[in-house]
Amino acid sequence: MGDILGLVAKRLGLGLIILLIISVIIFFMVELLPGDIATAVLGQGATPENLAALRKEMGLDQPAIVRYFQWLSGAVVFDFGNSIVTGASVTETIGERFANTLFLATYAAAIAVPVSIVLGVIVALLRNSIFDRVANVATLTSISSPEFFLGYILILYLAVKTGMFPAIASLREGMDFGDLLHRTFLPALTLVLVVTAHMMRMTRASIINLLSSPYIEMARLKGTPPWKVIVKHALPNAWAPIINVVALNLAYLITGVVLVEVVFVYPGIGQALVDAVSKRDFPVVQAACLIFAATFILLNLAADVGAILTNPRLRHPK
Amino acid sequence: MTKKKDVLLKIRDLKIEGYSDETWVPIIKGVDLTLHRGEVMGLIGESGAGKSTIGAACMGYARDGTRIVDSTIEFDGMELTTASESDKRALRGSRIAYVAQSAAASFNPSHKLIDQHTEAPLQYRLKKRMEAQEDAMELYEKLRLPNPQEIGFRYPHQVSGGQLQRAMTAMAMSCRPDLIIFDEPTTALDVTTQIEVLSAIRDIVDEFNTAAIYITHDLAVVAQMADTIKVLLKGEEVEEAPTREMLENPQEDYTKSLWAVRGFKSPQRKRPTDGTPPLISVRNVDASYTGGEKVLDDVSFDIYPGMTVAVVGESGSGKSTTARVITGLLPPSKGEVLFKGEPFPPDYRNRTKDQLRQCQMIYQMADTALNPKVRISEIIGRPAAFYSGLKGAALKNRVDELLDLIELEPAQYYNRYPPELSGGQKQRIGIARALAAEPTFIVCDEVTSALDQLVAEGILRLLDRLQNELNLAYMFITHDLATVRSIADEVVVMQHGKVVEQGPKDEMFTPPHHPYTDLLLSSVPEMDPDWLTTLLEERGVDNVGDAASARIDPNDPKITGASA
Amino acid sequence: MSVFVIIYYTLLLGGSCLAAYFNKRSAFLLLFSLTLVSFVLGIIGGVPALKFVAVSAGLLAMAAMVSYGFREFLVAITSVNMAKELRTAPLTAGFGMFVIFTYAVAGIFAPVIAPFGEAEVIASAFAPADETMLLGADQLGRDMFSRIVYGARNTVALALAGTLLAFFLGALAGLLAATTGGYFDQFLGRMSDVIMSIPSLIFALLMLSIFGGDLANNTTSFWLLAGFAAVVGVLMVAAVSESSIIGWLIGLAVMAGVATVFAGFMLTIFNPSEVILVLVVAVIYSPRVFRLTRAVAGNVVVMDYIEAAKLRGERKWYLIRREILPNSTAPLVAEFGLEFCFVFLLIAGLSFLGLGIQPPTADWGSMVRENATLISFGELTPLIPAAAIALLTVAVNFVVDWMLYRSSGLKV
Repeated sequence: MGDILGLVAKRLGLGLIILLIISVIIFFMVELLPGDIATAVLGQGATPENLAALRKEMGLDQPAIVRYFQWLSGAVVFDFGNSIVTGASVTETIGERFANTLFLATYAAAIAVPVSIVLGVIVALLRNSIFDRVANVATLTSISSPEFFLGYILILYLAVKTGMFPAIASLREGMDFGDLLHRTFLPALTLVLVVTAHMMRMTRASIINLLSSPYIEMARLKGTPPWKVIVKHALPNAWAPIINVVALNLAYLITGVVLVEVVFVYPGIGQALVDAVSKRDFPVVQAACLIFAATFILLNLAADVGAILTNPRLRHPK
Repeated sequence: MTKKKDVLLKIRDLKIEGYSDETWVPIIKGVDLTLHRGEVMGLIGESGAGKSTIGAACMGYARDGTRIVDSTIEFDGMELTTASESDKRALRGSRIAYVAQSAAASFNPSHKLIDQHTEAPLQYRLKKRMEAQEDAMELYEKLRLPNPQEIGFRYPHQVSGGQLQRAMTAMAMSCRPDLIIFDEPTTALDVTTQIEVLSAIRDIVDEFNTAAIYITHDLAVVAQMADTIKVLLKGEEVEEAPTREMLENPQEDYTKSLWAVRGFKSPQRKRPTDGTPPLISVRNVDASYTGGEKVLDDVSFDIYPGMTVAVVGESGSGKSTTARVITGLLPPSKGEVLFKGEPFPPDYRNRTKDQLRQCQMIYQMADTALNPKVRISEIIGRPAAFYSGLKGAALKNRVDELLDLIELEPAQYYNRYPPELSGGQKQRIGIARALAAEPTFIVCDEVTSALDQLVAEGILRLLDRLQNELNLAYMFITHDLATVRSIADEVVVMQHGKVVEQGPKDEMFTPPHHPYTDLLLSSVPEMDPDWLTTLLEERGVDNVGDAASARIDPNDPKITGASA
Repeated sequence: MSVFVIIYYTLLLGGSCLAAYFNKRSAFLLLFSLTLVSFVLGIIGGVPALKFVAVSAGLLAMAAMVSYGFREFLVAITSVNMAKELRTAPLTAGFGMFVIFTYAVAGIFAPVIAPFGEAEVIASAFAPADETMLLGADQLGRDMFSRIVYGARNTVALALAGTLLAFFLGALAGLLAATTGGYFDQFLGRMSDVIMSIPSLIFALLMLSIFGGDLANNTTSFWLLAGFAAVVGVLMVAAVSESSIIGWLIGLAVMAGVATVFAGFMLTIFNPSEVILVLVVAVIYSPRVFRLTRAVAGNVVVMDYIEAAKLRGERKWYLIRREILPNSTAPLVAEFGLEFCFVFLLIAGLSFLGLGIQPPTADWGSMVRENATLISFGELTPLIPAAAIALLTVAVNFVVDWMLYRSSGLKV
């Protein structure tokens, strides 16, 4: 078992280092701006006195490296400073929105993961049949469509024309859970459509890959019934690829969520990021990017660790 | 053993088609097969003969992308081609079992050996779990696996290849089937391991009087195992006869040619006595891959101009690593390589163009040794252009000359690509590429082991002729002692990265030997059907394979005597 | 029950029976399951739902015929070898090729095809379609159809430029890393790991927040372009010059010249903010290209023929050009298609967010955004540019799918 722990620790360490490097990239990228944030905030016409005052206020008179560590130590405890547009605390602005985004992503994942894995396995078992081909064309089409295309189609048909769901996924205080699920159904469905297609294709590929291994043929030649071949011989070896597929697609959800939030005017962190980018509100941009990147890395990390933990060769060393 | 007992398996006019390039093409073109209870039939043929496909068809099984058409396969009165999938499944594992070529890949990595072993008996409710496990241990013991009580509780990756192959045979026996299909069970193993597996398989098949179909490309192996031999060629039967009859008196030309393969023998050359320095001299070389253990340990030997030195050993003995050290791909950690008495730069990147030219290499797998996207003319022409600066008509003449030299018609091959050629032709192109550099020394790394025997013999004859015409020195890496017998002048035997014995070929093939050489020599199957029986009587069943090599006493007087 | 419904079911059931009779298993399964689905749909949605199914089936059949015709046309006009390959193309790939061809024509001849200019205001805002305006007018009264045709030029050209730059950088680095190995390889690998662990859209937003605004001017974009070209150039020089100092000096001089010309050339095609967009996607996607090229080339580099060439004393550039590239083209071309889809979707997404291609340039992503309000009136108009995006990516993906299938040689 020592081997496994070592590997996991190594992988975690690597993830931490990558996260650190990314925080450096995110922080110092903003430093590339000619002049500094103060000039960016106040524009070209600002007087030197105003600039100096703002710099003092934002601590810009200190060297970049010092400010980086201040920023980083803040980030560790979720303190990202104040927005330069509204002056409000970044954490307060995006904290609740992040929770909303997580809710939407979880909602989508809760539907997409079981559906796509089951469908992926079925399509893999029916490979080369007409259903497989239809599924191939359908998933390719879904993958190729931009999220806003799917989103607007859903709005047009399920909200505007039939009125089954609201077109705008606004949230209110004190909504009950059923209402919440109903209001956020369309954005979640959009995400589900995109992610399911990806996940199904990847599941199909990894299952087919697995089914062509000699030990599966051996199991068949031992007279094992088909369901048992899948459950006993394929599945224990399929965990690693399946975990990988799930984690990769959850990571993909994070990116997709930005566009979907904008389409459905959903109060999530993605929309906050887009607003901040167009208003050039750098503390918010930095905070949102760091949060997105950290989630992304965490998911990839989970996939790798999962793969390590389910590998029989590592679980039972020589 | 009485031959004419009940018929167990009757196949008539077996036709199997494979799907490729959008059409169904025939793979097996009407083969008949009759197998009686307790009979062992050897299916033999070169690659592409369809042996393995027939083996699967005996179970009524068609692999993905193949289908059985218009045939009858009757197993113990039951017609498999029309039987329902569940009826066929009920036979598999219980009455017909299968032993695959690669045991390492055919055991599920997620389950313990014994759980995979007991799966079929439990599935068919033949035994309770405990009984099935006890039976497994008994079978492990019969198959002479070490620690039979304990080995089943390991995972496949924790057990060595030869042991896995025996565990797989035990698994096939778990329901005491009427028929076992052995699909090249020892091909991936070293000779000394092979012999253990062969003797174990033979004994257990005898003991339970199981019928078997033994698929292999190795005549000597099949001669030990089978009662009858069926020879196949490109999906068709050539002939079938009882083993002894077949060996003594083959009828068809194709079979005769298979038997005649080992006839070629090049006369043995002697070292020059006029004091010419060796062409290549390996001096006390140690080597290891980055961070790994020592792969070579104090290796020394000489290769004289115009002579062939065969380096023999099993996988992991360090023979290929020695070649990498000589060619400069792996600089040694200690020792040096001399070329005509001068030190050779250890890293090929520091060698001059002329030094690189002198030392060429021919590879085992012609498929990966030739760039599939480059024309033959450029593959052969490039070294000529690169080293000698030939251009235009001179270059074309040189390529034609080289193609002539390797006995291929220039006009026909000049513009073709490697994937269009057969295995033997590709290997010839590989030789031509080496010759194009006008070298004095060529490393031949298992050049014949991927080829069918007849083709391999042609390559050996070609190499021998070229050696005489161009005064080339060869370092011939091989694990096949038959190849050594036919082409070597001197032999170097390696084991675990050390040279255990070296000397002229005639001395090496006459006793007394180093015990390892002895083991290696005695483990190579011979065409005599009694060879295995005799050998096991001489050595004892427990004195073959790993058990025997573990027993070699480092203080044996023969070791100090022979390796001096 | 209307005549339509009767004909509808008669055709379906008749088709199923015929298929069953002639033992066409897959056709039967398809037709019969469609019949069953129709029962359900018919009960829920009535005749309109069935009409919708019939129209979709008709459209699919049309698409299939067009694809078949286009594939046969290509088979007829290309060389023997090419035609042999093309015959293996499934209908979906034929469809893809047809769509790509159509887009190419629309993009190249946009000024000829489009009835109005791309920024020409000709009607009132959101004016409905009439005989001069096929698809009506947009929020400023410009002709939608003309803008969509121009969009084929602007959006696709940007995505193509971004993909090409990503490929130059990524593929060159990948090939070089595979042939060089060692620390160089490790370093590039780690670097691409880091860049790839930021989600692409997020990274794009981060970079655009910095290089948007005042920085999107001629000078900055010139220097950024030149810088990018210089990085590619240094890699190129490293591949060609081996370790000779003179080689490096000459190479670097040539490279500086080429980089300047390249930057100037790019600026004549694109405006500064577009240049920044192209560079941003190139930087984001080059690690992906690098990783794939490294993997593909890595499989080739372990081949014995590479070892033979190395032992012959061949230079790195020869190895890359003559030995590795010919054996990597098929997967690389397929990857180019895939990356193009990603880049295209990213640019469309950014434009949709209002951060990509800037008005008044006609661009599909921004057109969706500008006309989005129409959706709430039940209008299809904003979906048309979105569909144009989806159609092209689908088409490319169909072709790529076929090429991947061919090059992997999978017969499963």
